[in-house]
Amino acid sequence: MDLAFKDIRQNAGKFLATVFGVGLLLGIVLVMNGIYRGNIEDGIWLIENTQTDLWVVEEDTAGPFNEQSRIPRDTWKSLAAMPGVSQADPFISYQVERIIGGKRRRFTIIGYDVFGKMGGPGRLVAGRTIRQAHYEMVADAKLGMELDEKLHLGRHEYTVVGLTKNAKDATGSPLVYLSLPDAQEILYQKDNRALELSRSRTKSKLQEIGLSEGEREKVLPLVTGGASPDTINAVLVRLSPGAETRQTAERIENWLHLSAFTTEQEKRLVLKGRLRKMTATLGLFRALLIMVSIVIVALMVYILTMQKLRPIAMLKLLGASGGTIVRLILEQSLLLTLGGFGLAYLLASEVVVGFGLFPRNLVLLPGDTVTTFAIVLAGGIVASLAGVWKALRTPPSNALG
Amino acid sequence: MFVLNVVGLKKVYGSGDLAFTALENIDFSVQEGELAALLGPSGSGKSTLLNCISLILEPTAGRIEMGGKTVYADGRMQVPARRFRRQNIGFIFQGSYLIPFLNVLDNVCLAMELNGRKGKQARERGMELLRYLEMAHRCTSLPGKLSGGETQRVAIARALANNPRLILADEPTASLDTARGLKVMELLKTIAQERQAAVIIVTHDERMIQGFDSVNRLQDGNFQITEQSGS
Repeated sequence: MDLAFKDIRQNAGKFLATVFGVGLLLGIVLVMNGIYRGNIEDGIWLIENTQTDLWVVEEDTAGPFNEQSRIPRDTWKSLAAMPGVSQADPFISYQVERIIGGKRRRFTIIGYDVFGKMGGPGRLVAGRTIRQAHYEMVADAKLGMELDEKLHLGRHEYTVVGLTKNAKDATGSPLVYLSLPDAQEILYQKDNRALELSRSRTKSKLQEIGLSEGEREKVLPLVTGGASPDTINAVLVRLSPGAETRQTAERIENWLHLSAFTTEQEKRLVLKGRLRKMTATLGLFRALLIMVSIVIVALMVYILTMQKLRPIAMLKLLGASGGTIVRLILEQSLLLTLGGFGLAYLLASEVVVGFGLFPRNLVLLPGDTVTTFAIVLAGGIVASLAGVWKALRTPPSNALG
Repeated sequence: MFVLNVVGLKKVYGSGDLAFTALENIDFSVQEGELAALLGPSGSGKSTLLNCISLILEPTAGRIEMGGKTVYADGRMQVPARRFRRQNIGFIFQGSYLIPFLNVLDNVCLAMELNGRKGKQARERGMELLRYLEMAHRCTSLPGKLSGGETQRVAIARALANNPRLILADEPTASLDTARGLKVMELLKTIAQERQAAVIIVTHDERMIQGFDSVNRLQDGNFQITEQSGS
């Protein structure tokens, strides 16, 4: 006779309500695991999905994602000529906010050499890659755009020729890929009114220093224009077969006065820099939530046991062995933990992730789920052992009042 | 033949200045088929004696023999108490001491299962006992749905499940009205006669002990009077 099942069957409502409560609590723990992992995955997605061996950035900076990096566009040519380098392509990225489909959407523009291909979109779910130097774009499906749809950016309209899925920057915002000149133009080109104001201001300054009208007209194009459109954020470098990564990076750093990072180093920079506080906060919150869950699960298991002390004393009076009593308690504890965790997993994976109820990326890793389960199970068992200890110490005479 | 023989039993609670002697030099025996009553006011030591006999409480001194076997002597238990209890003693108590989450039949079968008798055989025996006690129609009911008299009859069925040689009943009629109490006592008398089990009943109700084979009156931990039937 399985006493644990008999007890649960007779008190099904109470037990199911407890399982539901534990399930909701553990569901929050799993969602928090997902947020934590999602934050990390988003943070390094772009780095991992840009097929490059080295990220070359401005000297002594941790760019291009962890901090700002500005290098002249032509740097890629010098890099391409370095020993050990088989390909070098310019790269630029920045965030913008525009109205798409009537909604204000934030996204990151990636500018890359559409003919060199490095830095461009990976697998497309629809359409094709950019084939023209101008006015074509590849957008992530999350932006809600369709193929051949047009988007006004800067002074031109860009046509969607391809769609990616889940292409995102470190903040989880979707990506839009453009050719490098287009991306630079959108970033640096001022509108006509701003240009006109800048020109007249410069003209009056040139007049103040005594230049004639003719001289001013000649000099003006050389001194206006603001930030240089010839600036990029990084150069992506692919190494020649057999080239040693560290050696090539050091050569680049020593001879071109730039900083070079491997993909792993670049990921570490982001994880230990930009994402560190957020990840640490989420990690701490996750740990606290797990601890609170364990305490609550343990308390529930303990209370379930304490509520049965009188029947347990009665069982002992009837001559039940310690094993019978331990089995009664442990089985219920296991069923509570398993039931609660099963419900939690369903809620987290099928409801929250499945229906996309959470605004950020949730990543449920099997390893995290198994570890959380093991921790909660261990907590439940420890609480059961406390209950078992109490139950085994209960004298049978307690049943007699 | 003696089912139970208690010689010079002593039970002291606490030690030193706080020591309290609950039982002192108790000599007591019951035979097969005997219906014995333990009478006494509250605090006289009735329940302590019953707990010592049932091996729930370890005595301080004396000797207890059951079915010719010494179970307590020389200041220690001579047998594994829990196993000996489930194999040889049946219990009936005044309140509802049935397992609340088991139905009537499961409560009876549990006593057998704990003794290694399981499955169909146990259920058939359980139903047989419930029919004997006219409780078969309530076999699927939970203890909480039973009346006081029905609860006691189920408790009796459970006490009989393992064919014990000794049945101990602690105030089995306390929660019943007189008519139902007398019916339970009649039933216990019948069981003692039919099954040749020794039945010891603790009670403080003089009306309930008519027809008992022996009546043992306890006062402050000592037997004051022991009456045999016909005396």
